[in-house]
Amino acid sequence: MKEIKIGKIKENYYQIDMRGWMCPYPKYAIENLLEKLPPQSYMDLLVDCPAATQDVPEVVRKKGFRVEKVVLINDGEWSITIKNF
Amino acid sequence: MRFWGWVSKILLEPWPVWIGILFLSLTNLYMFIYARALGVFPQMAMWGTWLYNLLGWNIEAPFPAIPVKLPYLDPHSLLDFGIILGALGVALLNREFKFRKENLEGYFWAILGGFLMGLGTVLMPPCNVGGFWVATMAFSLSGPLSGIGLLFGAYIGTKFLRIELNKALEKVDFHSASEVEPLKPKNSTQPIWGIILLALIFLIALTYYYYNLALHTGLFLFGVIFGVIFQRSRICFVAAFREITASYNGKLMKYIIISIAISAIGFAFLKSKGYQPYHMVFPAGWHNLIGGIIFGIGMVLAGGCGVGILVRSGEGYTRSWMALIVGCLTSGAWTGIYGYKVGQGWIYGPSIFLPDTIGWLGSFLLIYSFLFLFYLFILWMEGKK
Repeated sequence: MKEIKIGKIKENYYQIDMRGWMCPYPKYAIENLLEKLPPQSYMDLLVDCPAATQDVPEVVRKKGFRVEKVVLINDGEWSITIKNF
Repeated sequence: MRFWGWVSKILLEPWPVWIGILFLSLTNLYMFIYARALGVFPQMAMWGTWLYNLLGWNIEAPFPAIPVKLPYLDPHSLLDFGIILGALGVALLNREFKFRKENLEGYFWAILGGFLMGLGTVLMPPCNVGGFWVATMAFSLSGPLSGIGLLFGAYIGTKFLRIELNKALEKVDFHSASEVEPLKPKNSTQPIWGIILLALIFLIALTYYYYNLALHTGLFLFGVIFGVIFQRSRICFVAAFREITASYNGKLMKYIIISIAISAIGFAFLKSKGYQPYHMVFPAGWHNLIGGIIFGIGMVLAGGCGVGILVRSGEGYTRSWMALIVGCLTSGAWTGIYGYKVGQGWIYGPSIFLPDTIGWLGSFLLIYSFLFLFYLFILWMEGKK
């Protein structure tokens, strides 16, 4: 079964790896992930489908969270940094 | 400098959706004036039949307009190749290409999606873009009927899509996360390969032109332009249908509806003057609805409609490669299974070009009423948010 990998970069800073999940999966997953993200924390969401770089920030902002940055980290891979405060 | 500034803006920046839809509509209209309108699946079905013939199963291709031919000598197939290469070219330029692998479950959905799309394309016919978007603006009664089927299909398909995701989401627990390193951006040579590929595309076009295959050259280049438009603007016809019911967001479909309404005027000018009046007019009947539902489920599972899987194949999605292969093989076997071609036999209704039946005024009223009702339906769905 396909997994969504979760890691901890430092205290209150998480990394969710959704590389390998094509669109629209990241867009559908983000609402659930935002609900689970502990308060006062950051999350780097790693995605590898181009449309997610637009779709995900749109949903995040609608839910009242902040998108710090969207960075191309490797060919066809992006990191979307989301702030929960 | 100004010129190159525009070139880099077009090739290296994401386009707003409305720009994409505008370019898509114009390019489609120009290509219709040149030779034909956009539609990709019938030629893909022919590739499947071509392969069966190569292996000794001598059957005919399902779509009468596209008989079995060596794919690289078939002008319609060159449109599809152009889409793949155009999308690959700009994906490389923008460092968006990745060899995206799937696990077994992902390939299972791709195979199922490809199979349903292959079956849906011969039943509907043909695909989402050709069978709904173009057929409706071309005044084919099949267009609106297919659209209704596709909407239902996309709704059902999304239910399946959520199963895989929800299982994975259940296991996400922030409290049990193990230590990881943050990822640092890496350099890449992809843009150079993008430039090389664009030069190669130019060379391919020149080669066809050199051999006096002007139609092939033209459709190939149109394909490349479509590939660039779809890749840069991220227009996805699957998302347009899916998101109406999945997230109550009909923004993209509203743009598509407007584009049909505007393009229909151009098609009417041409067709009323006797230019290819029956182009993109398909059989109309219950099979539009059933085929639309089947195709609609398939496209959601495969992650792209006909054009979508071509574009995504260019971007390196192996799920799309698998769906493409299975879609070709399924639709390509149609005459061998059913015994007739698309549009013939007991399944299909007659091809109805609306102006022949209810006149031009009636046709505009019918198509615009359909588009208006569809628009109202979207507004109603958006109100549920």
